Amino acid sequence: MLAIHYDSSFDGFLSVVFEIYRQHLDVGDIVPVRPYAAEGAAAPDLFLQPFRVETDEESARRLRRAILNMAGEDILSLLDCAFRSEEPGIEMKIFAYLRKLFAGDSRGYARNPTSDEMLPLFTVARSVRREQGFMLGAVRFGKAPDGMYISAIEPRYNVVDMLAPHFRSRFPNGRWAVVDVHRRYGVCYEGGQVQLVSVDDPEAIAGVERSDEFARMWKSYYDSMAIKERLNPELLKRCLPVRYWKHLTERQVDASSLTIGGRNSEKRGADGLGGANLPSAVARSRSLALGHAGV
Amino acid sequence: MDLREKLNILGDAAKYDVSCSSSGSSRCAPKGGFGSGCEAGICHTWAADGRCISLLKVLFSNACKYDCAYCVNRRSNDIPRATFTPKELVDLTMEFYRRNYIEGLFLSSAVVGSPDNTMEQLVRVAKDLRTVHHFGGYIHLKAIPGASARLLFEAGLYADRSSVNIEIPSDSALQYLAPEKNFDSIYRPMNFLAERKIGYDSDHARHSPKFLPAGQSTQMIVGASGETDLQILRLSAGFYQQQQMKRVYFSGYIPINADKRLPAITSKPPLLREHRLYQADWLMRFYNFRHDEILDESNPNLDVDLDPKAMWALRHPEFFPVDLQTADYESILRVPGIGVKSARLIVSGRRFSRIRLETLKKMGVVLKRAKYFIYHPDTPASLRRLYPEMVRPLLVAKRKPEQLGLFDNYVPALPAAISR
Ligand code: SF4
Repeated sequence: MLAIHYDSSFDGFLSVVFEIYRQHLDVGDIVPVRPYAAEGAAAPDLFLQPFRVETDEESARRLRRAILNMAGEDILSLLDCAFRSEEPGIEMKIFAYLRKLFAGDSRGYARNPTSDEMLPLFTVARSVRREQGFMLGAVRFGKAPDGMYISAIEPRYNVVDMLAPHFRSRFPNGRWAVVDVHRRYGVCYEGGQVQLVSVDDPEAIAGVERSDEFARMWKSYYDSMAIKERLNPELLKRCLPVRYWKHLTERQVDASSLTIGGRNSEKRGADGLGGANLPSAVARSRSLALGHAGV
Repeated sequence: MDLREKLNILGDAAKYDVSCSSSGSSRCAPKGGFGSGCEAGICHTWAADGRCISLLKVLFSNACKYDCAYCVNRRSNDIPRATFTPKELVDLTMEFYRRNYIEGLFLSSAVVGSPDNTMEQLVRVAKDLRTVHHFGGYIHLKAIPGASARLLFEAGLYADRSSVNIEIPSDSALQYLAPEKNFDSIYRPMNFLAERKIGYDSDHARHSPKFLPAGQSTQMIVGASGETDLQILRLSAGFYQQQQMKRVYFSGYIPINADKRLPAITSKPPLLREHRLYQADWLMRFYNFRHDEILDESNPNLDVDLDPKAMWALRHPEFFPVDLQTADYESILRVPGIGVKSARLIVSGRRFSRIRLETLKKMGVVLKRAKYFIYHPDTPASLRRLYPEMVRPLLVAKRKPEQLGLFDNYVPALPAAISR
């Protein structure tokens, strides 16, 4: 039995499935090779024989076609969402669904949300979509000295490129970038075009958003909104899990360091040092652009 | 006074208004401008009290000429006063919006000079945002009671939602606590806006800008005067039907002012009661319950130990068990532990295969609660009856005494931006 390795992209996964059918591979596991550490990745199974499948656009396209024909657009998008969870073993779960789908022996299987294979995908995809929706609110842009609005996020799932359509329609004449600093890539919008960018120095971007008078006003406004008779740390953590606080301007605990840090970087920005290189960090990365995204 | 100080004072003064929703607008970014609506609303953050923050909620001014007993801004309080200029507010809103701190602006005000005077300023801010800066983000404008029809109408052209707070759920108590107000002064602007909305929307093409696309909302303070939950629910049911309100908010009374007309300044806000009211409200809006099904004259108050859906179920043993294979959607919705999403899944999935307990669990149905109310082929016939007195103790959550009144075992029904 094989442990099939691929480059962790969705097209890569579709290529794997395509090859499984084409070469009649006996698959035991499908293992993503990621450029960053994924949460809860499983240890390799020593009894499986490693096998590598390269991403092939044509195979991926043909498999998409097949899914579209047999199940429809919404199911394809559901599979894509479930895949973005990066949950260990998600590839095999999606494959289990596809296998039954392509076997075609039970009527209505494609669209039954409660089948054994579909229900787990359905609930995972729901969490991913919830994360995407949550992130639409949790992005915090900071204004870089050259006027670009830049945001660093660390979403639980791989959703950063799913945010682009929302911000594009919201700020059609703006210039902005949202970067997943954990996965080291993001979306950048300029001159009416969305591009995927890879980012080599995520630390530089993470600093930009808390550094001026508007950020300080927002932070102190936020603090004044809590009603002290109703303080409820548990409820706060349930609604806004601690893992997201790091990139939220208003959740920075130390308001005084915020102020000092802010003044400093403002000054540095004006001198053309420090702050000024932040957008160029994105610009530099843009030269490594992964090409125009279809988002 | 610098802008940050003003913002602190006027944000702080607005925080007791619990409405925060940014839903109901699907405005696209205007040509040459920026900002759009999101039909479902978007929460941007949560304050330390767990309430969602979606809009920049501020007062235009807190220098009030009225003297409502329950309000921080009343004339007789000795507090710092501040007033924005329209430009300050416009700039603040736009820059906060560009940083994605907020979905838009929630602008209210104390009554400064005259109601018309005040309303004029609010409309001015909204108008500048929309017409000068082509701002498409969310705008919620308070309608100031007593403002003229012309200004209210204009507000409706620029705002997505408007609200007039009734605050006190009975006319006599309102007049007692807020000598300058009465039900009539509150209902008049509400009705005016509701009628105008109907008229305007039917006169205009489908794609031209709507009049208050996200409708109206209102809020009531719970626990400042002696109304029962039944009175409160009846009043809100009326708002939903007659004024086509999108939301009715409840705000557990927080003693701000020492005033002999009000509960003692040391009393705790009735958070659990507020929460139960939100749950009941939820049942009316999404579960097709009528207010008089939830409460009646012989049971005028919600059960603090049980959520209203379980309370209803235990009062109606004849309705259960519900057979998930055959029951209609409405009946499945009435099963405690099954929410709207699960009910839909059940109905669409059962066409293909039997719904098993295992399936329910994977869907996220709370079996611990639902199991007493659903028909299951393995249950012996003798047990296929609901005995409320036996089930009740099993449903009442065990609460540690010090947690009383905190949000322990339930999803908070605090009004989130995403719930319309
Ligand atoms: S009119 Fe409004 S702001 Fe003025 S005291 Fe009454 S509730 Fe407060």
